[in-house]
Amino acid sequence: MKRLLYILFVLVIGNFNVVQAQLDSIQKLDEVLLSDVKLKRYTSGYKVTVLKDSILRKSPWSLTDLLRHNSNIYFKENGYGMVSSPSFRGTNASQTAVVWNGININSQLNGQVDYNTINTSNYDSVEIRSGGGSVQYGSGAIGGSLHLSNALSFMKHTDHMVRISYGSFDTKRANYRLSTASEQWSLNLGVAYVDSENDYKYLGTDKTNKNGQYNNLSLNLNAGYLLNEHHVLKLYHQSFLGDRNFSGTLLAPSKSKYEDTNYRSMLEWGYFHKQYTSKVKVVHLLEEFKYFENKDADYYSSGRVQSLIGNHNLNIKLTETIDLRTILEFAKYSGNGDDFENPNRNAFSATALWRHQVSEPLIYGLSIRKDFTSDFESPLVFSVDGAYHFSDSYTIKLNGSKNFRVPTFNDLYWNPGGNLDLLPESSYQVDLGQEFSSNFIDLKLNAYYIDTKDMIQWVPDNTGLFRPQNINKVKSYGAEFEIFLKHTIGSHNLNLNSGYSYTISENDTSAQQLIYVPLHKANLNFGYRFKALDVFYQHLFNGDVNIIGGQLDGYNVGNLGFSYKYELFKNVHSILQFNINNLYNTTYENVALRPMPNRNYQLQLTLKF
Amino acid sequence: MKIKNNLVLALSVLILSFSCSSDDDNHQQEPQGAYEDGILVTNEGNFDQGNGAVTFISDDFAYAEQKVFFNVNGTLLGDTVQSIDFYGDLAYIVVNNSQKIEVVNRYTFQSVATIDSGLSNPRYITFLSGKGYVTNWGDGSNPDDDYVAVINLENHTVSSTISVEEGPERIVANETSIYVAHQGGYSQNNVVSVIKPNSDEVETITVGDVPNSMVFDSQGMLYVLSGGIPAWTGNETGGQLDVINTSSNTVSTTIEFVDNEHPSNLSYGESLYYTLNGGVYKLAIGSQELSTTPEIEGVNFNFMTVHDNILYGVGAEDYTSNGTLESFDLATNAILHSKEVGINPGGIYFND
Repeated sequence: MKRLLYILFVLVIGNFNVVQAQLDSIQKLDEVLLSDVKLKRYTSGYKVTVLKDSILRKSPWSLTDLLRHNSNIYFKENGYGMVSSPSFRGTNASQTAVVWNGININSQLNGQVDYNTINTSNYDSVEIRSGGGSVQYGSGAIGGSLHLSNALSFMKHTDHMVRISYGSFDTKRANYRLSTASEQWSLNLGVAYVDSENDYKYLGTDKTNKNGQYNNLSLNLNAGYLLNEHHVLKLYHQSFLGDRNFSGTLLAPSKSKYEDTNYRSMLEWGYFHKQYTSKVKVVHLLEEFKYFENKDADYYSSGRVQSLIGNHNLNIKLTETIDLRTILEFAKYSGNGDDFENPNRNAFSATALWRHQVSEPLIYGLSIRKDFTSDFESPLVFSVDGAYHFSDSYTIKLNGSKNFRVPTFNDLYWNPGGNLDLLPESSYQVDLGQEFSSNFIDLKLNAYYIDTKDMIQWVPDNTGLFRPQNINKVKSYGAEFEIFLKHTIGSHNLNLNSGYSYTISENDTSAQQLIYVPLHKANLNFGYRFKALDVFYQHLFNGDVNIIGGQLDGYNVGNLGFSYKYELFKNVHSILQFNINNLYNTTYENVALRPMPNRNYQLQLTLKF
Repeated sequence: MKIKNNLVLALSVLILSFSCSSDDDNHQQEPQGAYEDGILVTNEGNFDQGNGAVTFISDDFAYAEQKVFFNVNGTLLGDTVQSIDFYGDLAYIVVNNSQKIEVVNRYTFQSVATIDSGLSNPRYITFLSGKGYVTNWGDGSNPDDDYVAVINLENHTVSSTISVEEGPERIVANETSIYVAHQGGYSQNNVVSVIKPNSDEVETITVGDVPNSMVFDSQGMLYVLSGGIPAWTGNETGGQLDVINTSSNTVSTTIEFVDNEHPSNLSYGESLYYTLNGGVYKLAIGSQELSTTPEIEGVNFNFMTVHDNILYGVGAEDYTSNGTLESFDLATNAILHSKEVGINPGGIYFND
């Protein structure tokens, strides 16, 4: 299949005139294989960075760990493995959308995703789409969006992968993946389990991380069935069960516990016919938490939201160079919990996406979306994007959009304080990108500006009661630089990828840099491969951040890893990997008073058969 | 360290040129050393942020020193600095979310002891007959585990506990008894508990809903101000002032506010003073007529107290920047002084 794609790709570049037929095949193939075709087809003017399988398998399993070292996104983590939230281009935790196989899964309760409740083991790739994406991905895609993707291939094969690892702080991990298919059907199964005492030393003190134990189970099941040339049925499912104690701070001990439950299921029926592709999706999402103030007591508070989503996607190939896609979506959200009654919310949205390949070097897209939501008015959002390929080695990309973030169940219904008069946060952004590429080096340079108003913040009213209000205005702007290098000399293979971001994010009235947004962040991944041996080094530099009433020092953290590949038995390949995390034993915190782990080790064995 | 840094540099030449961190941003004040004849303000800080602190302000407001405990002892005071009370030369600082009490010399702020065992969400402390008494919520979500911890002041440990009703908050003592106002913790309560030393018996007196402040007058009567149940519960009640005769421990007089009035911060200095809807109101001792005209308007006090005919109040501003201590002359109701304190100030104590 890959070869086929490659051949088609060569043809595309080789001869534009005869390319259309093949392009159609690719497009049709995309529609069948990919769970989120929009991400590929309607993002010409956006920077999309793909983290492939090979990077996912080297990283320590959580989405926080993966992105911290492989993106410009900054993370605030309440101690290792605890609640973790991103700041993408200076925006806040609820202004980055996480998209699971095309579906936005940000919590309806708080608008965020806890990145330590996403285990990357069972995904084929994670894509980072920088820039506003509310038209395509809905609420919260203001700084950018992250895409967790599973691909279903219809080529006869059966592959197993077993991965087990053991490391410091009694950290045990196990992962099994099965991928099997015939030309008619396809099945992926992934099970991953992580368990850790997480009792690392607080460097520079005589304390340890006392209440930080965690375990979680992640299950992914994806299946596809090709009914005939024109019809495909697909099922995607994901379960996550997490049980964590919550660490305290250096000054406040903790005995609390938190349980996460997430079920996500999607059934999709695809119909393909010449110029038309139609997809009908039915999605069920359930999110639930239980918070125990005292892990040894029976008292807890809980919250739960079920989402039922129906979605229709129609892609029409108007001409050889113009694609039009319409999306209609209906969603019903129902919640219950200790802090509110049983609120319900209905939402309907209509979206249109337009893509036009004007000439070989020039492509642009236009899109528009309107949401109709019970309880509040949502803005009309739109985006414009385009790319111009000056040559094989230089491309300019530009995009501009209006985006939004809806008030959450907590904002609207929390008792006390919930405010039914809230408006969605709304945001304008522009992003200019330049991409240089050659045989051994790729460079990406982006500059962006985001202006967000009506930001929701909980502030005390005249009786001292905290209530959410649309009060804040924030301007974020900055520059990002990414470099990818590859070089091979004989059997020696070198690769490097590195990113740097400079981020200003200021409250309009105070003109002060927001708390927990570093001006500077840089990451570097260096790899050297010689035959079966692989050595890699990761480095993270995180600049100082403002915190309430002070500043938190920046830090440098390095990780070193070795891996060795060999054939254990016939057709059983194994990879033995050893990682040293926090190589320099750096004392650091990314949330004040919540120290991160000292130097630690991890041994991992992967079997593929 | 040098070698490490060089290695780091060598490995990431590309990135590190951007790094610049300065350590001298935190311009710490030198400890003044003598905190006599001045005012101590407790600043709760933000929950889990560990930025609670004590501010010292000289009587004439000419001098202020932030983070006194840190300046003297070199360690952060803790998370959610709730309250202080004095006993002899010592100040007992109750640090709620750090589950501890820091004991310091009240004049030098030198650390003397830390009580960090046997406390569970400690709130306020008072003293009687050579013992300390500390209100504790226990787990906020559990209504049945609230208690008053008894502190042995010789060795600074919790020597015993006395179970009480839910949500013990303010605690005061006269010569014979301890009085605990049960504000209700996460919930709402409406009693005052009376504890006698050397007895396990706890007597309760029913007062208004959500008692938030208590003062003795010069005759030894105890005035308990209740804020009433807030509107968001769907079960709103108005505030109430109960006067307790401390010889019989019964309510002798009750004055009710209307249903949507939620007063707080009862203070005493010749007359009674309290805050309501951004105003400071006065009520003469013995009077049962609630005034409709505030003495001082436009305040937003987290806490207020009266001392030598001067009214002091602290306001939290936006709860993330530094708050303010203000003083008013009660003869003229005019503002006297104002001084910046720490984040989310909640207590004012006179160290004289």
